[in-house]
Amino acid sequence: MPHKCTKCGREYKDGSTEILRGCESCGGKKFLYVKEAELHKDVLEEKSIEEIAEETKEPVLEVKAHPKKEVEMYDRVETIRIVGPGTYELNIEKMAKGDERIISVGKEGVYHIDLMSMAKGPKKGKKKKK
Amino acid sequence: MKIFYQTFGRAKKRFSSFLSRFFKKKRTRIGIYGPPNAGKTTLANRIARDWTGDAVGPVSEIPHETRRARRKDDIIISGANGATVTIDIVDTPGVTTRIDYHEFLEFGLDKDEAIIRAREATEGVAEAMHWLREDIDGVIYMLDSTLDPFMQVNIMMVGIIESRKLPVIIVANKIDLPEAAPARIRSAFPQHPVVPVSGLQGKNVEELYEMMIERFG
Repeated sequence: MPHKCTKCGREYKDGSTEILRGCESCGGKKFLYVKEAELHKDVLEEKSIEEIAEETKEPVLEVKAHPKKEVEMYDRVETIRIVGPGTYELNIEKMAKGDERIISVGKEGVYHIDLMSMAKGPKKGKKKKK
Repeated sequence: MKIFYQTFGRAKKRFSSFLSRFFKKKRTRIGIYGPPNAGKTTLANRIARDWTGDAVGPVSEIPHETRRARRKDDIIISGANGATVTIDIVDTPGVTTRIDYHEFLEFGLDKDEAIIRAREATEGVAEAMHWLREDIDGVIYMLDSTLDPFMQVNIMMVGIIESRKLPVIIVANKIDLPEAAPARIRSAFPQHPVVPVSGLQGKNVEELYEMMIERFG
């Protein structure tokens, strides 16, 4: 009839004297005397998350994997994206709005901003009368 | 003596351009827009040759041959009943949302040439959009009628042209090819006039000229 540490679950042979010094793994001093069949019960038994939550009275936490959202071309800040040497993606809607140049390099987060292209405002008196 | 005439000629030009700016002579600048290889430069050459005898630029089956905007001024187009319109034609680089140098490798360019071409084509698109914003009074939007018109770039471009309230004529080009389907283009853009032509062979360009007088005059 083996002994089982109540804290970490480590098992000891029946009658082992080491437990007198405390559990080798965690140092706990309390041990359970368990039957052979019941020994591995807690590991082998399948419990749903709700049952475990009820037994241990701990809140159920969810691990959220952040889904990668593909940014719409309309929302993109860059006018030209350099995917690789000689390969470009062009945001023609942004180009249609103004001359400013913001170029992104590589996958995400690196931008070159051409300040001179942003310097000129809209031409005065450019309103078209129809 | 020659220098005198040259200086006089230059002064005359400067004076007349000063006068035209002073009196705000309206220039009708018509831009030919569309995806690469739609036939914009071929049509620009035909219009220029039909009415002035000159060409506008080189053509090629390699896409993005036109990488800078090219302008031909003072083209007078006359129609059947004597009506005319005077326009400047602007042939623009093909507009697209993605340029990849690999597509030029298939046409026999080596890697360095292809990369340079891709870079120039990208600059060309930026220039085309700049013209559209600054100095264009009307648009001829060219489409290859053998291809599906519902491409992202066409939807975006026609939307941009509409938002700027520019008069537009959609040209369904390449009707000389067996797979041409101009009706598909008409049903894709029911809100605009669609003229089927062959810029290469000159088929039905008369209808385009009449439409230009009507829309841009």
